[in-house]
Amino acid sequence: MVIKNKGRQKIEMVKMKNENNLQVTFSKRRSGLFKKASELCTLCGAEIVVIVFSPGRKVFSFGHPNVDVVIDRFLKINPHHPHQNNNLQLNEACLNAVVQDLNNHLTQVTEQLEEEKKRNEDLKQKRKDDKKSENWWEDPIEGFNLRQLTEFKCGLENFKKTVTTEASKYLQATGHNFYFGSSSNATFGIFDNDGNTNSELDLFNHRRLVDMNTFSGNHQNMIIPHHSTIPYGNNVIERFAPEHNQNQSQYCFKQERASECDRQPDHPPHYRHEYC
Amino acid sequence: MTRQKVKMAFIENEFSRKATYKKRKRGILKKANELATLCGVPVGVIIDSPYDLTPEVWPSREDMDNVLSQWQRLPVMDRTKKMLNQESYLKQSISKATETCKKLTKENKELEMKEVMFDCLSGKTSPPRIEKSDLRGCGNVIEQYLRNLNRRIEILSKNDGASSSSVHAAATTSVAMPIVELGSSSTSFCDMIRQQQIQSNMNQNVRGLDLNQQQW
Repeated sequence: MVIKNKGRQKIEMVKMKNENNLQVTFSKRRSGLFKKASELCTLCGAEIVVIVFSPGRKVFSFGHPNVDVVIDRFLKINPHHPHQNNNLQLNEACLNAVVQDLNNHLTQVTEQLEEEKKRNEDLKQKRKDDKKSENWWEDPIEGFNLRQLTEFKCGLENFKKTVTTEASKYLQATGHNFYFGSSSNATFGIFDNDGNTNSELDLFNHRRLVDMNTFSGNHQNMIIPHHSTIPYGNNVIERFAPEHNQNQSQYCFKQERASECDRQPDHPPHYRHEYC
Repeated sequence: MTRQKVKMAFIENEFSRKATYKKRKRGILKKANELATLCGVPVGVIIDSPYDLTPEVWPSREDMDNVLSQWQRLPVMDRTKKMLNQESYLKQSISKATETCKKLTKENKELEMKEVMFDCLSGKTSPPRIEKSDLRGCGNVIEQYLRNLNRRIEILSKNDGASSSSVHAAATTSVAMPIVELGSSSTSFCDMIRQQQIQSNMNQNVRGLDLNQQQW
């Protein structure tokens, strides 16, 4: 059985030899210790302080209710809880409510994270399982020779056109305007600044783009330039970025009139400017 | 060893609470010990509760005093830079977890879209049948792939140099391509490639491949 990590192995209780490992261990264990301390406070209402010096002589501390209060009390060697007046109790109640809220939030986010992790594993496993397929283009492109690269590229570009047309058909049908450009992050507009999956379509009229680059039943050959002047690349957006206005014949270039865009009432709240 | 998930909230039951407190306190002190030993760093812990007559101190009163004097020798700014309480600690944890979660969600979406793309290319499905909300994500992946392909083509072309200049030329100049007839029971990408491979095998002229003459 392959041992994946040292977590399930017994380790010696002596100072670690490897500097790098030591630093990593310190980071992880300090983090874990603080987590345990936080949990103890939440579950049992204990007061705690943990002070840790790092290998680099920096100091980390965790304290509940706060570090200084607990240390002071300790130094005065007062073993009992001081008699609390009403004000203090009220503050504490408030603080407890805030902390409880935060705990709930953290639990929720952690659960989401676990779900995404599982999904990630499943997806990667599926890809591994599917590897036996005979489709050579599904392999990593680093292994392709020049001919394969070019073939695949041509096929992909064709495919892209079909997808684009599909998209514009849908848009024309639903009346949405569709932004089909890419920022420097290779996003196709689906993710906004905060990385939220944005399945709603941005208000951006690209009808002109679509008309130029697809064919209304015409089987003409199309000249496709090799490099990034492929439509929907960055350049195109800079060249013409028509923006949907109430009056469709009016176009404005996003870059120049960005501020005005925001004031348009029919802009959806998630209109983004990074596409400029 | 099946564990029940513990709800992160104040334990109402007094007996449970006391028992949990004792166990967890022991656990924390053990972890603190391990941290101090493995990393050879000073560590100090004080735990106080209604269940203890005197506060629990680790490693020992004297060692704790040492740690505290080191602590107090530090300028206030150094002390507070990494100081946390429940509120700040939890907020920090939440933002870290949220950040990781977002990255994963994005990666998962991309992986999913990649599968959709491959399914289309191999004929298992086709663009009209793609979920409408996925169209853009799919386009994303296509874009990314094309970008990477271009980069690889550039690298290989440079390396190959003169010997495959005809291929290079074909790749870098405008390529006239017939368009896939929309709405037809589309020949899948898969079939096209296979057809091409058959042809090129017949041509026996891999290097001099002139893409302009290919029949799609």
